[in-house]
Amino acid sequence: MAARRTRGMTGSDLSRATVARATAIAELLRYECSILLELYRKKESFTADVTVTESRLVSVPPPSSQLETRDKLWCLHSALLQCRSFLERAIAKEEEQLGGGKKGDYETQRKMVKERLTILLINTGELLKTAGGVMVLTPSSEGLELDGPTILFELKLWIYRIFEEVDYWTKTAITTLQALPSVIAKERARTTRVRSMRSARR
Amino acid sequence: MPRLSVSPSSQPNCSPVWLISVLLGLLAIHTNAKDVLTVPQQVSLSANMYTQHLTISWLGGAVTTFDLIILRTELNETVFYETVSVTMNQVSGRHQWNWTSVEPLQCTSLSIKIRSRDGQTTSEWSNTQILQGSDLPSNEKFQMYPQDRIVPVGANTTFCCIVEEGLLFGTIHYGNTVMNTTRLSRRSFATTVVNQELSGETGTNVVCFDNQRTKLTGAVVFVGYPPLPTDFVCETRDLTSAVCQWKEKRDTNLYRKRGTRYSLNKRNCTLSSPEEKQKECSVAQWEGNFTLVAVNPLGQYSLTDSAEITHRVHPVAPDNLTFVVHAWNATVLWQWEYKSYPSLALDCQVELASQGYKTKRTFSGVGLRSVVLSDLYPDEDYNVQVRCGAQQNFWKWGSWSKSFSFKTNNYVPDAPDVWMWMNKDYTGQVIWKPLTQRQSHGLITGYEVTLWSPEVNIQHTELFSPDTYAVPVNLTQIATRSSDNKVMATVIAKNAAGVSQPASVLIPLRLTDVEPLTVSRAVYTDRGFPLFWQRNPNDTWAYVVEWYEASCKWDCPVEWIKLAAGNTNVTIKSANFQPGVRYNISLYSSSSEAPELLQHWQGYMQELVPSSSVLLSTTQHDSDVVLTWREIPLVNRRGFLLGYNIYISGGSQLTLLANLSDLESRSYTVKGLSQGLYNFTVKAYTSAGEDKGTTASITLEPYTDWLILEILASLGIIALLLAVVTFICYKKRKWVKKAFYPDIPEPKLSGDWSRSQGPLDVKPSPHSLVHMVEKPEWDSSKEVLVVIPEEDEFEGDEPVDTDEPTSLRYYNQVVDERPIRPRFPDSSDSSASSLDSACTDVTYTGIQTSGSSLVFQLDPQGSSEGHQPQADLSVCGGGGGGYRPQMQSRAPSDDIGLASPEPFLEPQAASAGDYKPQSSWHFDSPVEAGESGGLALSLGSPTSVASTQFLLPDGEEHAEEQRQPSSSAATWFTNLLSSTKP
Repeated sequence: MAARRTRGMTGSDLSRATVARATAIAELLRYECSILLELYRKKESFTADVTVTESRLVSVPPPSSQLETRDKLWCLHSALLQCRSFLERAIAKEEEQLGGGKKGDYETQRKMVKERLTILLINTGELLKTAGGVMVLTPSSEGLELDGPTILFELKLWIYRIFEEVDYWTKTAITTLQALPSVIAKERARTTRVRSMRSARR
Repeated sequence: MPRLSVSPSSQPNCSPVWLISVLLGLLAIHTNAKDVLTVPQQVSLSANMYTQHLTISWLGGAVTTFDLIILRTELNETVFYETVSVTMNQVSGRHQWNWTSVEPLQCTSLSIKIRSRDGQTTSEWSNTQILQGSDLPSNEKFQMYPQDRIVPVGANTTFCCIVEEGLLFGTIHYGNTVMNTTRLSRRSFATTVVNQELSGETGTNVVCFDNQRTKLTGAVVFVGYPPLPTDFVCETRDLTSAVCQWKEKRDTNLYRKRGTRYSLNKRNCTLSSPEEKQKECSVAQWEGNFTLVAVNPLGQYSLTDSAEITHRVHPVAPDNLTFVVHAWNATVLWQWEYKSYPSLALDCQVELASQGYKTKRTFSGVGLRSVVLSDLYPDEDYNVQVRCGAQQNFWKWGSWSKSFSFKTNNYVPDAPDVWMWMNKDYTGQVIWKPLTQRQSHGLITGYEVTLWSPEVNIQHTELFSPDTYAVPVNLTQIATRSSDNKVMATVIAKNAAGVSQPASVLIPLRLTDVEPLTVSRAVYTDRGFPLFWQRNPNDTWAYVVEWYEASCKWDCPVEWIKLAAGNTNVTIKSANFQPGVRYNISLYSSSSEAPELLQHWQGYMQELVPSSSVLLSTTQHDSDVVLTWREIPLVNRRGFLLGYNIYISGGSQLTLLANLSDLESRSYTVKGLSQGLYNFTVKAYTSAGEDKGTTASITLEPYTDWLILEILASLGIIALLLAVVTFICYKKRKWVKKAFYPDIPEPKLSGDWSRSQGPLDVKPSPHSLVHMVEKPEWDSSKEVLVVIPEEDEFEGDEPVDTDEPTSLRYYNQVVDERPIRPRFPDSSDSSASSLDSACTDVTYTGIQTSGSSLVFQLDPQGSSEGHQPQADLSVCGGGGGGYRPQMQSRAPSDDIGLASPEPFLEPQAASAGDYKPQSSWHFDSPVEAGESGGLALSLGSPTSVASTQFLLPDGEEHAEEQRQPSSSAATWFTNLLSSTKP
């Protein structure tokens, strides 16, 4: 974290347009995620009471209002990166273990979510870069439990859990990104106040 | 159960008892050895969890029958209890028996015991062997079995759910179905799915929930089919290796690692596209016999194929196609992928596609690598692909090569198809049909048109652009200089490759002199206008059939078709034919001479109702109405007119009056109509029906003849009436006389002076002087009273209308005693009848200058029948010498008799001012008659010479009436009756 904070830029430098674009992409991803979950539930005959949210697969520090914009963006970006790694692995495992002869809506939606997530990552990466953060995945992909279960039913639950994880972090991304402009405004005000005080002292 | 009992001995000495005891003991030992069965020892269990097979082995001695009991350990429920026959394995000396569990072996612990059986004798149970399940308390997890099972369609599968320690069992779902369960142990519950259907591609989930539905576990089961390959066949493409193909008859519903594995001649096949139904596997060398084995988790299937390699040659596609192109042909060259092909006898097909049409041409040869495609068209795009097959032991055509295109070279154009159109003068057009692509052989760059008259050696050549297809010509100059009757027009087409052969047409200069032939009708069918004509056996000419719209008269867009000699029929077709348009179709001879018109047709592609109606006019002829109309213009007829329908409209309905099928008569007379308004509609009709029609209205007026007839009839009736009245009066004259005028006593005179002639002075009424003059030619023996005019008396022109009483002289003259004929009451007639009735001149001296002559005169002939007023008038006039004012004003035509009333009317009108009383005394004037009262009857016959009242003016008349209310009428009747007195 200390390394990431060496470049002490504030969120005031963030482009509103980039934030807005990232927010829009996140909202679109959230919608596509909901469709993907619906298609998956339908495909696997999972009723609504099939819940798999025992704990988070993605491991990042919990979001806090105390964090600076840069740190929030870093957490978000890191979580989304992990989501994409899980998603890619889930897709590969599903194809390997459960793949069928035909490709349908589910497969199309799955691919769409993956690509949308990639686009969102590019945008959050830009925001993070603007905010002065370092785009390093923590923990590294090697540390993630990406193999997945070998038992097919557990594999299905694992995939479902990954989809829900993507959905969760997409919602978090929307919340975080929507909160950014106000943060920017506050930080701008604070920066101005500090400069005024410094000038007065001089 | 036999028991082995051993009794301890108390005394060691050998006594008979001891011996007996030993013997008994030995016997007992022997007996026990035979009756007491060996308890199975060393029972061991071996479980296959996937197949759910449990293998039980034990040492059981020589016994071959055992009782086996399998219990669910926890609930001590018997799962299996049977007596089985098991032989001892001679090698291991052990007995072994396999058992397949319905439930997965993990579901709960099983206890197994065995005992030997020999008939009804059994050994003790062996020690219980327990196969531990996964529901042991040490294994607290939520579990489900079996996992990832693959079963065939229709199978029954039992699943068990081991609830997590501390939780309570809820439900088991198979897909979306909640299943019935049975308890196997404290934590284990089982359900059985029967007759399973195909699962989804990712299998069917069997999910177990706890009772709170907070946790779950599950398993996936795949339900599919064993493999079923078909159509397995092997062939060679390179003449060395084998390529075998087959299809899967049905989808196994198992994919990826559960999918079907294939092996060909025991070599695994790696399918390039496992999802494709058509599957292919290769072996490097042709082996003659091929075996395909298909395996999946549910089973396997084998297929075989055997063939000689030469019988299974499936050539590869020709490669690297190249072309050598000419105008009319092209050579296609290609290469073979394999070196062995040049020695292979091949049949090759070339598919040639051009202008949307495909043709195949077949060529043969050993190692065929090129073919020549002949009969191509110049300047045309072709698309070519080639495939080959083995000429000997043909198996199948090889693959098509890639498709290649080429375009043939240009060539000189074909000669255009030329024709001409001549107007009624010497102008016209030379026309030719545009060359099609297959005729132009390249882009046409222009046309060259030459007009040539051989006789006068006039030649004129002109170049035209490629989009010109008609050239106007004016042959007036040539026609005036040449006595020949034809001019030759030649057309040459040009393109990049050269010029076409010239195409000529002879233009007849005397075309208009050709007598029009009879026109036949051409009937259109689905295929066009079929035309037929007679052919003279000696004729050697070809024919030209041309057609154009009949309404066209000048520079018409003519179409034509040229036919070879000998043709006697043709069906002409054109995309330009339109319904409702009349076409002129002409057949011309086409020879070295100018075209000659041989036959002429007219026809419609489809007849329609006329688009316009006739121009209709009406005229009245007395009670008839004549309808006339004009011909419908040709262009509006839209069909052959068949006739006209004439309707009369009454309200909204049309009533057919006539149907005229004669097209030349364009008038129709509707006869015998009464007065009134009439609407007539004329509709022309073709085979398609009537046009809308034209309606004309006419109001019939009363006509003159009728008027005249009516007048005459009225007059006749009036005359008849008068005659009847007069007759009645005559017949009843005595009564009339009595009623209206009793006899006046004659004056009593002494002596016979009364019979002598001499004037009798009578004092007349103050306003009239009447002279009664004796007619000279009358018999003198008869005495008449003659009124002597005053002027005669005074012999002057002084006015007679004096206050002095005028003396009226009566000549003692004999009066005709013959009865008087009835008189017409009309005043004019009375004048006439006065002329007719007597020759007594009555002079009204009170009227000296004008007035109607009311001369009453006896018929000199004494006839009551004949009326000869003219003769009478002339006689009386001539002899009278009395007052004749009316006669003086008349024209000579006044001599017309009674039958003509006009001569009397005219002078009456002319003298109306002077003779008002007379005019007012017309019989047909009811007003005057009314005013006159009882005088009316007396007025029509002014026979009373003593009365002048009716000759007086109106005012005076009334005055006179006041003075002499009845004397005038009485006088009049007196005269009348005296004159008619016998």
